[in-house]
Amino acid sequence: MGRPRFPLVRATLVVLVALLLQLSVVVDLRIAGAMGDLLLAVVVAAALTGGPDRGAAYGFVCGVLYDLVLDTPFGLTALCYTVVGALVGWVGVLVGRTSGWWPVLAAAVAGGLHAVLYTSAGNLVGVAYPFGDVPAIALALAACAAVVVLPLMRVLWWAHGHPEPDRLEVSWR
Amino acid sequence: MAVSPSSGSRTRILVLLLASVTLVVLGLRDVPVVRDLREGAAAALEPVEGALDTVTSPVRNAWHGITDYDDVKRENERLRTQLAEAEAAEIARTDAETQLAELSESLDLPFAGDVPTVTARVVAGPRSNFSHALEIDKGADAGLAEGMPVVTGGGLVGRIDQVTAGTARVELVTDPDFRVGVRLATTGALGTAHGQGSEEPLRVDSSLPPRTEVEQGTGVVTSGVDRSAFPPGVPVGTVVETQQGAGGLTLELVVEPLVEVSQLSYVTVLLWQPG
Repeated sequence: MGRPRFPLVRATLVVLVALLLQLSVVVDLRIAGAMGDLLLAVVVAAALTGGPDRGAAYGFVCGVLYDLVLDTPFGLTALCYTVVGALVGWVGVLVGRTSGWWPVLAAAVAGGLHAVLYTSAGNLVGVAYPFGDVPAIALALAACAAVVVLPLMRVLWWAHGHPEPDRLEVSWR
Repeated sequence: MAVSPSSGSRTRILVLLLASVTLVVLGLRDVPVVRDLREGAAAALEPVEGALDTVTSPVRNAWHGITDYDDVKRENERLRTQLAEAEAAEIARTDAETQLAELSESLDLPFAGDVPTVTARVVAGPRSNFSHALEIDKGADAGLAEGMPVVTGGGLVGRIDQVTAGTARVELVTDPDFRVGVRLATTGALGTAHGQGSEEPLRVDSSLPPRTEVEQGTGVVTSGVDRSAFPPGVPVGTVVETQQGAGGLTLELVVEPLVEVSQLSYVTVLLWQPG
């Protein structure tokens, strides 16, 4: 598969649809009192399919958009998503594959990482998010990201193309 | 390797991280452009969210059907029993409804005094795991403005922190960023209450000496001192525990909010602003 036409338009569409689904559907689907995060899953999928560069870029854009509609400190989501996107992308490159259970595992770990990172960063900027909430939030984020990351990787390939079909195949194909 | 990070890639990531940190700093400084952008986003989302809410409600209902199955089953059995009882007592219920309507009309918020109020429906809960805000279906068109206190008959819920024409966002009393000046209803001792997250009690940094005896159950109300963001006397919660403050020089109070903010359907906005 070559580079698709209008990748920027496709990427914008992916992010906006994910944001709207997050605000209208996912926000109400709670696990252990916490909600999943579709935008985080998009960031992880972008990092797994495009490396740290794309992961960070998606993290920044998704984070800024999400920050615009939240009451939490502005920029905090963008910062955490960017870090998570870059880290997942880097680890993905080190691991050297995006097939099998690896994406699911990476997404789950990224969910937990985001919960810890956000709570810590919030406390650093003076908002005392309780660390006691982290396990439930991490569980919800990890579960959500793990469930949707494989379909989202396909969406990201649709948006940006499939540069390495021999390596980036998902095992179920 | 096609996706290996190059030095250019590292530079771009660094730039994005620095940009994120810059946004955090701008946000913390409450720069007007950030506030304007957020208000613009809220206004833009207002019509879209309403439509999406309708379209996606079957998905959410299905999810609740799955995750709350046992509760729904028990609730169903209980409701069947209640329905049978209610049918037998229909006349009495009709009478009770009439009385309830009359009572509701005359219901007043004793702590609101002459402050005009607007009742609003809660249309959305927190939008992220770290958000402690509700959205209500009244906005600037109904006279709401930023900073106005939000209450129920039980006491303080929070304050308006963003307003569009038709909606408003309420920062809840449980938000770790929320601060309200309070006083003990018994002694009048002053303090500052702040949230600690959903389902968590409030913490009050008081000016009381650390060995002061404060009885459990003591009421805490808004202080309403000069330039306070809230009118005086709005019930906030009751003391459930006392602890020594940092350094052991003052007393900290653990206060259970009177209003269960996660279970609200309607709230009342006091059209009151600091003088």
